[in-house]
Amino acid sequence: MRRSLVLAGAAVTALGLLTGCSAADGDGSASGGKTTLSVAALEGGYGRDMYAEVIQAYEAANPDVDVQLQISKSIEDEITPNMKAGRFPDVVVLGQGRKAALTETLVKDKALEDLTPVLKAKVPGEDKTVGDKLINGIVGNLNTNPYGTDQTYLMPMYYAPTGLVYNKGLFAQKGWKVPATWDEMFALGETAKKEKIALFTYPTAGYLDSFFFALLADVGGEQFYTDVMTYKQGVWQTPQARQVLDLTTRLLKYAAPTTVGYANEQDFTKNQQAVLDNKALFMPNGTWVVGEMADAPRADGFQWGLTPLPAVTPGGKRYITTSVESVWIPAAAKNKDAAKEFIAYLYSDAAAKIFAKSDAIQPIQGITSSLSGENAEFYKVYEDPSVAALVGGFAGTAPVAGVDIKATLFDTANSIISGDKTEDQWQAALNDASEKLRQAGG
Amino acid sequence: MPVGGTAVSTPSGSAGRAPVAAPSGGRPRAGGGRRRGDGVFVLACLLPALVLFAVFMVVPTVNVFRMSFYTWSGFSPDMRFTGLDNFARLLDDEQFVRAFQNTVALLVVVTVVTMGLGLFLAAIMTRQRLRGRTLYRFILYVPSVLSVVVIAAIFSAVLDQENGLLNGALRLLSLDALRQVWLGDQQLVLWSVAIAMVWQSLGYYMVLYMSGMASIPEELYEASALDGASAGRQFFAITLPLIWQNLRTTLTFFVMSAVNLSFVLVRALTGGGPDGSSEVLLSYMYKQAYTNSSYGYGMAIGVVIFAFSFLVTLLVSRATRREPLQF
Repeated sequence: MRRSLVLAGAAVTALGLLTGCSAADGDGSASGGKTTLSVAALEGGYGRDMYAEVIQAYEAANPDVDVQLQISKSIEDEITPNMKAGRFPDVVVLGQGRKAALTETLVKDKALEDLTPVLKAKVPGEDKTVGDKLINGIVGNLNTNPYGTDQTYLMPMYYAPTGLVYNKGLFAQKGWKVPATWDEMFALGETAKKEKIALFTYPTAGYLDSFFFALLADVGGEQFYTDVMTYKQGVWQTPQARQVLDLTTRLLKYAAPTTVGYANEQDFTKNQQAVLDNKALFMPNGTWVVGEMADAPRADGFQWGLTPLPAVTPGGKRYITTSVESVWIPAAAKNKDAAKEFIAYLYSDAAAKIFAKSDAIQPIQGITSSLSGENAEFYKVYEDPSVAALVGGFAGTAPVAGVDIKATLFDTANSIISGDKTEDQWQAALNDASEKLRQAGG
Repeated sequence: MPVGGTAVSTPSGSAGRAPVAAPSGGRPRAGGGRRRGDGVFVLACLLPALVLFAVFMVVPTVNVFRMSFYTWSGFSPDMRFTGLDNFARLLDDEQFVRAFQNTVALLVVVTVVTMGLGLFLAAIMTRQRLRGRTLYRFILYVPSVLSVVVIAAIFSAVLDQENGLLNGALRLLSLDALRQVWLGDQQLVLWSVAIAMVWQSLGYYMVLYMSGMASIPEELYEASALDGASAGRQFFAITLPLIWQNLRTTLTFFVMSAVNLSFVLVRALTGGGPDGSSEVLLSYMYKQAYTNSSYGYGMAIGVVIFAFSFLVTLLVSRATRREPLQF
């Protein structure tokens, strides 16, 4: 008798252990007529309060919707286990270019919902459609239409210019002009060298993305840029590609000697500090650097400045790589219609105001006129008529094991500076990676 | 290191069996039925642990092997069976080969240096009546309690090219020619990681060896001293043979730490850079499986790591097999 009791106890314990793992499944999405919308967002430099505020405003306007927000600095780690188990969030605010590459993975898998209807939908409570409110050129590129078709899968959420960040104060003190062409750039490199200032540095090689994208478009135009991004056959063997690598290799000769040693996760801020300390003139970076280095010591008269890359030919068109955070819906989400309505609301004037308060600037027409401080300075780059915004990145393909063209393009800069690889090897490796991806994508 | 606990305690395993034998001997009436009941009870007690073990150890391990035959991004329902393709591709992957070389280099260097230094220090601490040896032991042991992320932060400061401890000390000694960009030079970065690994694990192994040496009877040393043996002779003729089993156990740990610790450290300290020159097997596996959306390929690397660790441990264990010496 007693033994059977013990046995039953043991069995219950064992079962309890098993069921404990699955007990959390039960929360359905439509309880009592209310739609539960689960929103996952990356907590970036803008903080988390703005999401809470926008959701509050949305719930006030739509009492039958209950929005559950999940927000984290490493949101991928928190939602992927559930996604692998088939439980997808309804709305995800997460851009491309993150280390975990969750967005890219879903793009490669064709696991995103087509959001073209959202562009045509009216913003809740307003007369204009979402598409009308967006600034020109922000949709219809590879960042929003990753397969190069007319279908939009990723809606542009916030946008920010990335270019060469420098100390405006230093240029004023020395009487230097921000170089408008590459010849002026290298001439400045020589001048600065005499003052023991390096022309260039980068936080980590990954930051060269904005640099390369803009340079590719500067050299070969937008068509060439798209060719590179879509892995056109032999594109890295063209004279334009060679010119891009030539210019970069030449620029890297002017890199601060400390660059490579600090170009890792642990030390990258020391490379950024070099610009604050007037030890290096330019670094590729974005608007977030202001917040990231807010508490860092800096040279007297330091003032943040942002410039597009110098033009290849005098008066030539210059592109400014624009980083765009995205919002998207997983194809496997449960409440897609409610999710689309919520996304349309994110572009309402009310929501935009809340986001802008936290410096999260949405690509909505007329928004830049309301900016102040460094933001006004940074977003001013778009006002120059010879400067155009460039959005996008490498096109999504089926994953190719062992091939990472971004690593090949950016990380090799470390080896070029240290002399471990030559420009020819770089070009050959790029050609090889691009070809493998082309075959996978085609 | 859960394996460590059980492995270290094996010498006392024979002693632990005695109490189990005693009660069964003192109960001659216990019939077969009774024993079977006991067996069921024992099984029931073990069941929760077995279930957990199966769910969290066996199933994932089997899954790693299974997934290595597929091409899968990690999320989509689109999973393709590709047989041994992933493994064939590994052979052509320069990055993988480099990561493999780095892992082997770390395994050899860290093992030799840590083991040599650990034995040396342990011998000094136990045989020579050093003043303040408890303090030394404490100081040397501290790093193995620290989290690897803390160690990465410490070494980022130690190895800093401008005002790091290492370069600063070299400058102080007027050895400016020896100053290096420890984390930026592709030929050096792996050794910088190795230094950090040795620093982290030295105290742990020293304490392990010390406990082994402390159990060697003092008479042996006294007798050999009367025969005129020097300290060095005593070490090689008495200490080393008598802690041989101890050494063999730690060799297994070295294989594990070279594979596991190097991953965490590389990820936190160098991120595999510059340009992949400090990539190790696990960090490359992680990159492929999670950031390059090639889950199946990553798992194939996982299988290679599994097989490699298993093989090395087996070889080391075979090569060091000796008749255990008793004292």
